[in-house]
Amino acid sequence: MRYRVRHITEYTYGAPVSLCYNMAHLLPRDTRNQRCLNQKIQINPPPVYQNDGEDYFGNQTFYFSIQEAHKKLVIDVTTDFEISPLNVLQWQMQSTLTCGQLRAQLSNPNTPELRMAKEYLLDSPQIRCSEDLKAYALSTFTDDKPVLQAALAFTHKIFTEFKFDPASTTVATPLEQVLKQRSGVCQDFAHLAIGCLRSVGIPARYMSGYLETLPPPGQEKLVGADASHAWFAVFIPELGWVEFDPTNDLMPSDQHIVTAWGRDYADVTPLQGVIFEGGGSQQLAVSVDVKRV
Amino acid sequence: MQLQTGTFITSVIDEKPTLSSAYDKPINAYDEAFTEDRQPRAHWEALLRNISNLSDEEMLDRQRRAQRILREDGATYNLTSDPLTPSVWSLDLIPNIIPTDEWLEIEQGLAQRSNLFDLILKDLYGPQELLKNGIIPSEIIFSHPGFLRQCHGVMVPGAHQLLHHAVDLVRDHAGQFQVIGDRTQAPNGAGYALENRTVVSRVIPNSFRDSQVRRLAGFFQSFKNMLTSLASQWTDTPRIVMLSPGAYSSTYFEQAYLSNYLGFPLVQGSDLTVRNGAVWMKSLNGLARVDVILRRVDDAYCDQAELRADSFLGVPGLLEVVRAGNVVLANPLGSGILEAPALVKFLPAISEFLTGKQLTLPSVATWWCGDKDDLNYVIANLSNLIIKPAIRSHSSNSIYGHTLSEKQKLNTIEKIKKAPHLYAAQSYVPGSMSPIWLNGKIQARPSLLRAFTVANPTGYTVMPGGLSRAGESTKDSIVTNMSSSKSKDTWIIAAEPEAQSNLITDQVLLQDEALQANLPSRVVENLFWMGRYAERAEISMRLLRTIFKQMNGIDPLPEESRRMLLEMASTQTGCLPGFMEADEKLLANPEAELVSIITDGSRAGSVKANLQAMLSCGEQVKEMLSADTRIIINELRDHIHELDRAYTNGLPSAPEESLDSLVTSLLALSGLNHESMLRGLDWTFQEIGRRTERALQTATLLRSALTTPLSSGPQQQILESVLLSVEALISFRRRYRNRARVAYGLDLLMIDGTNPRSLLYQVEQLRKYIRELPRNETTTAGLSPENKIILKSLNDIQLADLEELAKIDPDSQSRLKLEQLMTEFLAQLEQFTVLISDKYFDHTAGPQSLTEAIRGTNV
Repeated sequence: MRYRVRHITEYTYGAPVSLCYNMAHLLPRDTRNQRCLNQKIQINPPPVYQNDGEDYFGNQTFYFSIQEAHKKLVIDVTTDFEISPLNVLQWQMQSTLTCGQLRAQLSNPNTPELRMAKEYLLDSPQIRCSEDLKAYALSTFTDDKPVLQAALAFTHKIFTEFKFDPASTTVATPLEQVLKQRSGVCQDFAHLAIGCLRSVGIPARYMSGYLETLPPPGQEKLVGADASHAWFAVFIPELGWVEFDPTNDLMPSDQHIVTAWGRDYADVTPLQGVIFEGGGSQQLAVSVDVKRV
Repeated sequence: MQLQTGTFITSVIDEKPTLSSAYDKPINAYDEAFTEDRQPRAHWEALLRNISNLSDEEMLDRQRRAQRILREDGATYNLTSDPLTPSVWSLDLIPNIIPTDEWLEIEQGLAQRSNLFDLILKDLYGPQELLKNGIIPSEIIFSHPGFLRQCHGVMVPGAHQLLHHAVDLVRDHAGQFQVIGDRTQAPNGAGYALENRTVVSRVIPNSFRDSQVRRLAGFFQSFKNMLTSLASQWTDTPRIVMLSPGAYSSTYFEQAYLSNYLGFPLVQGSDLTVRNGAVWMKSLNGLARVDVILRRVDDAYCDQAELRADSFLGVPGLLEVVRAGNVVLANPLGSGILEAPALVKFLPAISEFLTGKQLTLPSVATWWCGDKDDLNYVIANLSNLIIKPAIRSHSSNSIYGHTLSEKQKLNTIEKIKKAPHLYAAQSYVPGSMSPIWLNGKIQARPSLLRAFTVANPTGYTVMPGGLSRAGESTKDSIVTNMSSSKSKDTWIIAAEPEAQSNLITDQVLLQDEALQANLPSRVVENLFWMGRYAERAEISMRLLRTIFKQMNGIDPLPEESRRMLLEMASTQTGCLPGFMEADEKLLANPEAELVSIITDGSRAGSVKANLQAMLSCGEQVKEMLSADTRIIINELRDHIHELDRAYTNGLPSAPEESLDSLVTSLLALSGLNHESMLRGLDWTFQEIGRRTERALQTATLLRSALTTPLSSGPQQQILESVLLSVEALISFRRRYRNRARVAYGLDLLMIDGTNPRSLLYQVEQLRKYIRELPRNETTTAGLSPENKIILKSLNDIQLADLEELAKIDPDSQSRLKLEQLMTEFLAQLEQFTVLISDKYFDHTAGPQSLTEAIRGTNV
């Protein structure tokens, strides 16, 4: 499948900003089934300094700094992808490693992969393990269950027990609150799942990217109506990192486009940085368009 | 020294004096100075003999001298932000002595340790073989906040990543040195070691000379060479700056001292800016490229753009400049991970894995609670251990097992069990006993040693010495922090005398001078304000002194004069409403308000507030002040304390005298500026501050004192008071005899160019100074705005008709013209200070974070 994704981020400031330094995680990376064919990033006003690189997690980074006064900052990224489907059904049938076995392997790791996977068992900037999270997940991840089946069941559990409600949370809503109110958006569900998995000793990481959406039957698809998306992945030694999307109750295959991954949202914030002067009331508009080509 | 218990006992045996121990044999600890049979160790003999030849008084006298030198050097360890009461660095006269052969072993061990830490740093931010191979359990690194993933793959050019390193050592009871901790981000202490050496060698010069002590200068030269080499890929003459967290950081003295000694400007985060992919210092001449930063700011606080956004100490965008290879930080960002206490346990295995060698200098036994067996051991032996949280912070210090109650022990175990991988434990080594001079006698106290290394092209250079510290009480036998301990010089006794080495070679000096001339504008701004506050304080005090004299005169003061004088005190200090439109009651009992105007430091404009503000500015530019200036500043501090004492119970009996010593100190300060300071930009800006403030104060005084006409007696009294306050009464009487006309007063105070306190004099000086400022070119648009405004003020004063000014306007019953002129003059000068400060000082508001609001939404 080939896609073209256009992601436009637009900051509008109440007063002119004289100087800014920004680190962006907006350029998608390659994965085992995803290849970026073309990539174009346009920033306005044009940066006086820019540099692309790769972060600790292997994600693409784009650093830029603007030194002219501006009231509006536009970052326009267009990427073409080729994505091949993953045989998730086969994995579901074949993967037999149980939660108990995985936990045992992790407590006495004997391969580099297992040792490095421990990074995703620990607390991260926005996700802390807790007794509540553990309690919510424990019955799903019993020792005898295969990890993949358990993660799939847990994905379904979140999908059925949580309500998708953009008004109910903000970026700052803590996990405990999300768990209590049983509602949130994809980022909350991904963080929640990761927190639960880590709390029961299963390594999990945060996936950020896009999802192709289809318009209601008979209607034309609106440009910019797609959105950035978040889901999670679980480390299963025989398969590597296996992804799950609790917002849509499925295992991503070729409709999920990956931008970056990390321990949580903080590692892959689309745009972080500082501005000097001006700012005041910042307004942010994001438009994402995912198109098959 | 007297021969009695508790002090040295000298006796004569075989014509050769021998010394026996001054204190009882320490229990279960190594004694640095004395052997098992209580005889001085060979390397201590010379010093102990020298000291024993001193009487108690002589010893005390030297101790006092040392404290005085430290205070005059401004050697403080600030624990509070109060500029009035900094804690003076505490130094014991008796050094810690280590013989050369023993030191050689330690030196090798330290260099080996630094080398190993360097390899660890390279691995953790590179291939991570130590983690992949399970040599270090990965969660130790992954869970440590000092592991900065943002720094992955960022490498310092040259052979080393770890550029300097501090190692804390103690001796166990057998005398073997063990490492108890490492500092790898921004190690402090080397500057204090240098200051200790300077003081001790001055106070006990004989002992120092006789002992063939190894010099420290070579180490600092290596330090300087290391920093200079860091930017060698793009420049042979790098601009090196020292990045400080600011004047309120506890080790600010050390930073100022070291930056001066090494010849680098001391800057703060806001003095630097990132532009066009490089780091620049904001200076009066514009932006100046910075190549190397010796930092005292901790890792996470260095860059608000990529690291902690809430930092006030960093330079936004710094990390990216490092990543692009356009500036080098020493130590590199991310080096704090090496301070993880659990790492110590794995050092032998790491050394084996990375170098195939064993460490010759052992570390103290360490357990990591993330390991089940270790956890059980720690729980069972808590009383004998020090628990070290992986994350060092102000709220989570080391826990000393032996100090815990049973309940506290249970709590601690609970805490550890919740996140065992975040705790390490060390066995408790009380440290060796060193002799210190305390309460008039020699006593034994537990001590530890901080040693320092710095990278050189082939390995590491070790400072032949270090910072020794000894506890002041015997009770808590480990020396935990700087505040409750005495520091000591550390003498490595050389086998033979060392060749002298001077730190600064001529070549380096020349290069530094050119770079030093460029000061951060913050420094200059502080000097400008220091001048202003000094002047402001001086004039208020002079006026208050005059008021006290008039009020306590032989004849009772007429009501009219009394009211006017008190109102002038309020107007001049800006402590309003004060006596303005005061009722009879307040005028009859002005004491409390006068006391407040003088001693209430929290009241803006009060004498004390101005002096405090002046001292604060001085603190900020400590490294720029001369030794004599520091002496006067210390005196000022003392005088302020005296003032507080004198005013505890209201006005003292002779209040007019209470301010004399302060006024004298301020005069000394201004005299010193004139006589001893080079006429650089720093001087010019301080002078601009002074002159502007004096003009403002004098104009304020003239306006408040002379606008309202009084009947002839009181009018004369007020005019005399004004003249007395500005030190002009004698000249006035000589010139005009007893004809006390207002117009004559104005002549002397406004337009007499020979009176250094007249308005004309100030403005003429200002006009001269601004011509010397950089970026003062006359453009096609004509004179610069600050030039214009000064010229206008000059004209206004010169063209004034004094008789007209002194006339009383019949409608308003006031000297309206005088009031108008002074008001306009004041407004112009205020405008002038704004122009100067906008043009030359940095007023960038701090950075703000981008709103973090991009969030996933979905169908």
